[in-house]
Amino acid sequence: MVDAARHPKVDVRTYTEIERVEGFVGNFKVLLREKSRYVRTDRCNGCGECTRVCPIEVPNYFEMNLAPRKAIYVAMSQSVPLKYTVDLDACIHCYKCVEACGKLEAIDFSLKDKLVWEDIGAIVVATGFDHFDPSVMDEYGYGRYPNVITSMEMERLNNSAGPTAGNLIRPSDGQTPKRLAFINCVGSRDKRYNPWCSNFCCMYAIKNAVLLKQMYPDSDITIYYMDIRTPSKGYEEFYDRARQMGIHFIQGRPSLITEDPATRNLWVHAEDVALGRVIEREYDMVMLNQAAIPQRDVDKISSVLNITQSPGGWFMEYHPKLRPMDSPTDGVFLAGACQGLKDIPTSVAQGSAAASRAGRVLHSDEWEIEPIVAQVWEDRCISAQGKKCGICAQACPYGAIEYEVGKAAHVVTAKCHGCGGCVAECPHNAITQMHFTDAQILAQIRTLLADHPEDKILAFRCQWCSYGGADLAGTSHFEYSSNERGLRVMCSARMDTEFIYEAFRLGAGAVLYSGCHPQDCHYITGQRVGEARAERLMNAFDKMGMTPGRFRVEWISAAEGDKYARVINEMQAVLDSIPREKLLEEIERLRPEMERRARRMSQTPQVSEAMAFAERLRMAMGRP
Amino acid sequence: MNHDTAVHAVHTSTQTFADRVRAIPGGEHLEMCYSCGTCVSKCLIQQKAEPRFNPRRLLRLVMMGMEHEAFTDPTTWLCSACDLCYPACPQQIHISGVIGAVKQLAIEAGYTSPLTPARVDEAACFACGTCIQVCPYHAIERVSGLVTVPDPMAHGQTLTVHKEFAQVNPNLCMACGLCASSCLASCITLDGYTDAQIDAQARALDWQPGVALSTDGGPRLLVLVCNWSIRADADTAILDEPPPGVRVVRVPCSGRITPTFLVTALQKGVDGVLVIGCQPGECHYQQGNLVEQARLALTRNFLDLLGLEAQRIRFAWMPTQSRGALSRLLDEMRDELAQLAPLEWRPELG
Repeated sequence: MVDAARHPKVDVRTYTEIERVEGFVGNFKVLLREKSRYVRTDRCNGCGECTRVCPIEVPNYFEMNLAPRKAIYVAMSQSVPLKYTVDLDACIHCYKCVEACGKLEAIDFSLKDKLVWEDIGAIVVATGFDHFDPSVMDEYGYGRYPNVITSMEMERLNNSAGPTAGNLIRPSDGQTPKRLAFINCVGSRDKRYNPWCSNFCCMYAIKNAVLLKQMYPDSDITIYYMDIRTPSKGYEEFYDRARQMGIHFIQGRPSLITEDPATRNLWVHAEDVALGRVIEREYDMVMLNQAAIPQRDVDKISSVLNITQSPGGWFMEYHPKLRPMDSPTDGVFLAGACQGLKDIPTSVAQGSAAASRAGRVLHSDEWEIEPIVAQVWEDRCISAQGKKCGICAQACPYGAIEYEVGKAAHVVTAKCHGCGGCVAECPHNAITQMHFTDAQILAQIRTLLADHPEDKILAFRCQWCSYGGADLAGTSHFEYSSNERGLRVMCSARMDTEFIYEAFRLGAGAVLYSGCHPQDCHYITGQRVGEARAERLMNAFDKMGMTPGRFRVEWISAAEGDKYARVINEMQAVLDSIPREKLLEEIERLRPEMERRARRMSQTPQVSEAMAFAERLRMAMGRP
Repeated sequence: MNHDTAVHAVHTSTQTFADRVRAIPGGEHLEMCYSCGTCVSKCLIQQKAEPRFNPRRLLRLVMMGMEHEAFTDPTTWLCSACDLCYPACPQQIHISGVIGAVKQLAIEAGYTSPLTPARVDEAACFACGTCIQVCPYHAIERVSGLVTVPDPMAHGQTLTVHKEFAQVNPNLCMACGLCASSCLASCITLDGYTDAQIDAQARALDWQPGVALSTDGGPRLLVLVCNWSIRADADTAILDEPPPGVRVVRVPCSGRITPTFLVTALQKGVDGVLVIGCQPGECHYQQGNLVEQARLALTRNFLDLLGLEAQRIRFAWMPTQSRGALSRLLDEMRDELAQLAPLEWRPELG
């Protein structure tokens, strides 16, 4: 940290928050709020005279509130920069610090927060994690029993620079504990609180146990666990070493801690799973290895940087296996536990990867993107004619569309990721997506439904999930109806209502509208745009009196090949259950309505040429 | 390849034991158990009644399809659905629901409960239905049939009449005794905890001054304690060897206690009665503690008519988390009784 701060090319801004981010990859403009320390950083030399005279003591957050700090303070001795800060909530304005500071005149209570805009090329998010508060778990009595502490409190007690100079003592009486218990998975792997495994608790529990055993060899140390997870290099060996040192491992999740009111000793009630028997053991002190959770202000960072969250509140990566250090927004990178819980070596690796990805942005004059971006036909956009619309801007998950009444909507190409949501949402067909134009997709629909359309199941698949699901169904040899005809678009957001109407107008037997599960969407909120549209379609078809099951909406991930096959087979079963003449009659009955609803599509530029071409192709193939 | 298809066939073509358990409402989510043992140590049955009791292992038996073992496992029959474990389970499995599903299948398969159910004296029962309302397990129903009753006209003779009476389903009864204490005709008996047995313990001879209890001249205190309410070993040791002047009588549930036990003890000259039950929400039989609380609140009001102070009767909740609270509670109650005039000791009352 100190090294980084000294580097001539590194500018460290601590006590600073990001307020707003504008622009795009390579050209971000970031509004920073440099919070006022009430100390001039250019004058403070970190001598600490102010802190010595300050009469106010408040709990020290860095020491897990086990020690006090003054109202003018540095967070910790290695703080960068080593400049003091006044905690105005605690300060009583006695100005003794101003006196002590003397001629340096570094303390200035008139300082205000500073708002500065900075030009930034790339952003790396490394906001880390927070800890679960175990006091909500009544059964372990944290906060009620003084000798039940958390692992972070243990870290401070065991630290030679900590409040007890590294001496482990019991909070109730200051004695050195002889019998110690660690409880793992406190609030993690627990559906009542946090369902995930916090990844590194097993290892730090073993580490703490080993450190304590080295310092107090005659102490009796027990780790209560559900499963010990030591999957990385050298970890299992470390676990072995702990066992050899005589640390007890009991498989069994304690259900209860009770306290002897006289001695303040603790009784841990657990089933020893190996024995199949409930055991009650007495300890002097119990450490809770609590769950790691997302930072409390994660939603704010999410909205400022436009990064979605995975379930639980971790920042969503671009791709879980291939691009774990990239966020869905170009030029914004992720490092460490904010993306998902990981230990130190993995965090360092991801941090280095994110830094080098950011370096790639900073070193290039041009930035290549996929050519599947959206473009506006300015003469068709009604906003240019002074009418209020803005539907495209609302649909865009990336804020890539600039919209203003009186001007045609404008797509910022560098920000567009090519989901096609705006294209499908535009009620005037004024936007097109390169390589996925209405004309191209309609031509595919016509061709796929050229022959006996009433037998066909036309499946709209999104590139990232349901297409992958269909692919997996194929490579896994899951059998499904051969009447299925797949059509790929980038996202369910691109699946225009008019495509569906056109498919039914052509006489399709059934249509599947499929995409990612909401939390998996590759385009942040694209699936939600698609889902809302699918619901409208479903209602419309219900009102028209279409047989239920002919139009189906399913969210299928790339790992759900079995589901894809099952859905298609179920749709086939629906088709099989309708007598053929009844089906043909229904198609004919609904055709005029479908035609009316799909009419506007033919006015879209290029569509008529494409249709004529498809017609010629069909003739050439000898199809009616 | 062949092996794979064989496994596949088993999973799809036949309904496994686990499938049948899952199909019963309450039996879902059983596959989510990862055997952490929280339920086992939260539950008091293994420590207090049956060392083989282990819900985690029962779930395992079901998942492995070990039907006979599951049906004969004490866990299937002893779980009283107090649901102490449910809010503690990190996988949020409704364990008593799963056990209930196994029990239902066991009953359907002809297995029977090892517990001794409450007995109804059919001749004395007048089918008022109080027990039906109070039973937490819906184990009692009103039936009618031929019953042999004493002939009211001829002493020593019997008659066979067609009448209504309460009938206990032996497989559903958990033997808490709530029905026995609520019965208006005193015609329901819980073996091991009959009125006579409890009364005899409460009024046993060693209450006499100078024999065992009142050597310090302090007050005499009768403690009626629910078997489940005290968890810590150190506290149960106090019950085994109570301080001078204190007599402990255990019951399966505080709801088993009728006010008669308290009043006869006071009549005999016991200075006070302390009833200990589980904390609300922790009753082993779901609602026994609440029934008893209501009952004793009424009894306290009646003490005035008998010319006795209301403090002589006390009902105390004991949370399962408590440790060391029992001796404090006993000291408190004895100090309170020491402030009151001692009652006259009347050994002639039995």
